[in-house]
Amino acid sequence: MIRMVARRLAASGLSILILVTLVFFMAHLTPGGPAYSILGLKANATSVAQLNARLGLNQPLLQQYGLWWWHLAHGQLGYSYLLNRPVGALLWRYELNTLLLYALAISLSTFLSILLGLAQGVYFGRWPARFIGAFQLGFYALPPFFVAAMLVLWTCVRRRWLPASGMVNLRLAHPGLASYAAHLVLPVITVTLFTTAPLSRYFGEAVHEELARDYVRTARAKGVGFTAILFTHVLRNALRPLVTMLGLSFPYIFTGGVIVESVFNYPGLGWLMWRSALAQDYPILIAIVLVIGLLTVLGNLLADVVNGLLDPRASYE
Amino acid sequence: MTNRAGLRAGLALGGLIFCLGFIAPLLVTADPYAIHPAYALQPPSLMFPLGTDELGRNELWLILSGSFATLSVALPAAALAFVTGAAYGLAAGLAPTWLDHMLMRLLDAMLALPSLIVLLFFASLVPLNNISLVVLLGLISWPALARLVRNEALAQRGRDFVLAAEQSGASRFYIARVHLLRVMAPVLVVNGTFMVGDAIFSLSALSFLGLGVQPPQVSWGSLLQSALNIIALDPWWLILPPGLLVFASLLAASLTGQGLLARWGNVR
Amino acid sequence: MSAVLRVENLSAALPRGGRDVPILDGLNLTINAGEMLALVGESGSGKTVAALSIMRLLPPGARLSGNIWLGGQNLTQRPESALRRVRGRDAGMVFQNPLAALNPSRTVASQIAEAWRVHNGGGKSTARVLELLGEVGIPNAAARLDDYPHQFSGGQRQRVLLAMALACSPKLLIADEPTSGLDPLIARQIMELIARLRRELNMGVLFVTHDLSVVEAHADAVQVLYAGKSVEWGSAKQFFAHPRHPYSEALLGAVARVGQARLHNIPGSLPEPESRPPGCRFAPRCAFRQPDCEAAFPPPSQFGATTAACFYPRPVRDRPAGAETFSTAPPRTFPPQLQVRNLTVRYKGKSGWLRAATAPPSLLDASFALGRGECLGVVGESGSGKSTLGRAVLQMLPYEGQVLLEDTDLATLRGTAGRARRRRLQLVFQDPRESMNPRLRIGEIIAEPLRLQGQLSQAQLRENVETLLRRVGLNAQLAGLYPGSLSGGQAQRVAIARALAASPDIIVLDEPTSSLDVSTQAMLLNLLKDLAAAQALSYILISHDFAVVSYMASRIAVLHEGRIVEMNDTKTLIAAPRHAYTAQLIAAAPQPRGG
Repeated sequence: MIRMVARRLAASGLSILILVTLVFFMAHLTPGGPAYSILGLKANATSVAQLNARLGLNQPLLQQYGLWWWHLAHGQLGYSYLLNRPVGALLWRYELNTLLLYALAISLSTFLSILLGLAQGVYFGRWPARFIGAFQLGFYALPPFFVAAMLVLWTCVRRRWLPASGMVNLRLAHPGLASYAAHLVLPVITVTLFTTAPLSRYFGEAVHEELARDYVRTARAKGVGFTAILFTHVLRNALRPLVTMLGLSFPYIFTGGVIVESVFNYPGLGWLMWRSALAQDYPILIAIVLVIGLLTVLGNLLADVVNGLLDPRASYE
Repeated sequence: MTNRAGLRAGLALGGLIFCLGFIAPLLVTADPYAIHPAYALQPPSLMFPLGTDELGRNELWLILSGSFATLSVALPAAALAFVTGAAYGLAAGLAPTWLDHMLMRLLDAMLALPSLIVLLFFASLVPLNNISLVVLLGLISWPALARLVRNEALAQRGRDFVLAAEQSGASRFYIARVHLLRVMAPVLVVNGTFMVGDAIFSLSALSFLGLGVQPPQVSWGSLLQSALNIIALDPWWLILPPGLLVFASLLAASLTGQGLLARWGNVR
Repeated sequence: MSAVLRVENLSAALPRGGRDVPILDGLNLTINAGEMLALVGESGSGKTVAALSIMRLLPPGARLSGNIWLGGQNLTQRPESALRRVRGRDAGMVFQNPLAALNPSRTVASQIAEAWRVHNGGGKSTARVLELLGEVGIPNAAARLDDYPHQFSGGQRQRVLLAMALACSPKLLIADEPTSGLDPLIARQIMELIARLRRELNMGVLFVTHDLSVVEAHADAVQVLYAGKSVEWGSAKQFFAHPRHPYSEALLGAVARVGQARLHNIPGSLPEPESRPPGCRFAPRCAFRQPDCEAAFPPPSQFGATTAACFYPRPVRDRPAGAETFSTAPPRTFPPQLQVRNLTVRYKGKSGWLRAATAPPSLLDASFALGRGECLGVVGESGSGKSTLGRAVLQMLPYEGQVLLEDTDLATLRGTAGRARRRRLQLVFQDPRESMNPRLRIGEIIAEPLRLQGQLSQAQLRENVETLLRRVGLNAQLAGLYPGSLSGGQAQRVAIARALAASPDIIVLDEPTSSLDVSTQAMLLNLLKDLAAAQALSYILISHDFAVVSYMASRIAVLHEGRIVEMNDTKTLIAAPRHAYTAQLIAAAPQPRGG
């Protein structure tokens, strides 16, 4: 098991290295570069040169690249061009907001996925499963920005039940927990709906497949009842693909994140990524790519470890 | 709904959307981007079947030219991604082990990030126009297919019928052409179908975030974004059509893909 | 004796392609305490469906009629809750493929304990588990309580399944092909274990199998199923001595036995459940068919202790057909063709950074020669390296040592010359369907080696393909079909035709018949024999089945743990095995009938 984890870490580390290098050089080789996007395209050459000198962009590319890793090794991710603040601290603040949103949404959708998936596997081919299948297909095909917009239209514009954007009411000097909670409702619902659809689908298929296996027949031949078979035999084996999916969706969460956070103006990592992309704020973009890459590795690793615990065979291979 | 019915519905829906994107825009006679402040934000009526936007532009015309813009970028992009991914995957699957490992490392690096994040990143770098969008979408959406094709090619390569062909003196190229491509044809077609849906979604999401199809052109995603900007005015007629069109396209791709999969899935 | 199980007029239909297809048709059987009844049939006979329907374990949607009397209840009339109390307590069941039949993520002990606790509540289950494991012969059981199924060997897993089935001391054991897929020596041990436990526990056993030879020594009663109908049933002793139904007789004659001269062919193939013939279902393949056989299903006719459903049962003869043994001709000599010297194959283990891959070699120092027109048999259990040997000779994997075809070292040839030389060695695989691209037509598959050699026009190709199809006994019309529409036996013939298309000198036959039914197997072996005789083909026949090898081969190499432990001409090897392992293999193989 430890060997497996080590091998995985090494392979993923290499991938991240390639990725970040690719991203860095792409960012710095583009014509114009950040100076023009900060100063505008009509900026004169001297002010561009001044700015480049200030940002260290006039140095040879390899040197900048080396410097970037040097700073990274010392825990510095550079300065945001636009906000002129250290990237590390900036990221951390936004990251916390994202984590809050996703911790809630993912817990909720894991719970829902297990319920829906069990029902889908057990009632395979009958109407409850078809109903769940229609839900899954619907939320695969519905674009999240459309669903989010409709939610805002109904619950914020027409009914004024919930706030439409932000994380907290800025007009309040000391916003209470209720204010935070109210701002979280719509983003959490949206993310939950869009993660439950694929997760429950994979889990439902796994339950259906496991129920058709020989060991289920063996258990029935012993006289074990169906409910007991479902919970003491099938569940554990069917959880493995769900765990893998959860691990894989670790970074994909941030994809939905960009869209959902931009619709609701929720100040999370995805929102920051979006604003930085619009403003070509490369230090932040590169740092976010690095963070998401690391999260990918972490997610996969976590899934492997959990699956290793669920499957006694894994630790011996 | 059975898969057979789903396949038919998916193909029909897909055909309808295709017509909407490539034939219906020919019917637009006026300049769709012309501004008429006097008619701003009118709900649907006989004169404006889909209402008008905040600049008084006819939403029906906007939707039609937006459909053309969306499809004329997304379809070539999907084709580019499909060809790139299939070729890369086949090459890796047939390459000697060391080369395969190198190609896979590169692929892993590209797959370590969700494609929308990568898209967002690169879209912020390059000047955006329809051609650069096709290239961008095409060159970023292929790794998933490449990995699938490579794994499938590797699995098929070890099967007995390939060994039998090798024993009869077949070359690597012959095996790829005669055996692998034929056995993998269903996998390729099904995933190609899904990729069309993915390309439409990615382009719409990018446009929604302001980094896709650029003004004055409109697309489904950018129409939704501009409607969201004035959502306090309750412009439901500006939100529904572009949202439903993206939904319908993805539904068509998904139904078609799943239908084909069910039809061919039993042949291994 | 009292009847443990009585099945009356049991019929079962399964939904297939939108309608109910009858699989089993009017089955009657009775099993007494301490008695073993062998339910024998080839694929599609309905034997497994019969076993499952007795426990009411058929998939949802199956239709069942008739009576199943077990433990004083008619199981066809009982609700699921009552059935649950019967399963495991009144009747235990073991299955084919024990690895799949055990839950991979729960310990073996907990799975056995579950079988006990379901019917007896909690408490002292560990003691019972230990007792059961000891009973089925798992050594050092106490140390293995925390082990998972993948940590047991194939034979042990079947023993574990057996322990599970015996947990509540049922009066009836249903065993569905418990020995198929196991190596012959292990299969024999399991068979003997079941036979012993039946006597010790005075338990009725329903033993379902496709292989008559497995049950020959132990069954008390036999019932033969063909295409969903019983064709013959009664005392095992009389059945094996004097089979009355033509199918029973043919089936017994088709089983390869040690030292047999000629196997009995059954022409045709098993009917699909959707297209079973009216009247006697065996009639289309029967050598003794009369016009009235196809009109109505024959009524049972009893003779002594057996009953056959046949209008024209076979007369009782002193010596059953197919029991002639070897000709006494001296061993033939063959001109030399292939030389294999010191062949060693090492598979690379999973190498880490820290650990060099030093797996034990899967084949060590194998040397042998093969003459033109000779058939060399390679026999051994799974993991003995016999497939590796075949693949190395074919140059399919890296090896140490030399493989010389007519004094040319095959490993030194490269490019076109290498391909041309390599083509002269062909391979027939175990699973014929797997060895054909499902998206190519039969004609294209057979033409492939011809096409790769080039220089043939389309018309010549077609003509060659038709000739090849006829040579393997198939209709030339098959060329237009896809492999998916062929039966297993037909598919294997196509595979042979493809091998022949390359005009090979040597064909490696890797378990060519082990995925086929007994009746098809005999036909294929005879075909291979005839082909070899017609054109001086050499074979390397690889099989786990000693009887099959001894039927085909003039010389046999016995592989055990990667080494050739004994090699000799077939007759000498059987008469006087020098290695203990060889003697065991011979003893476990089906013995001549009436002998």
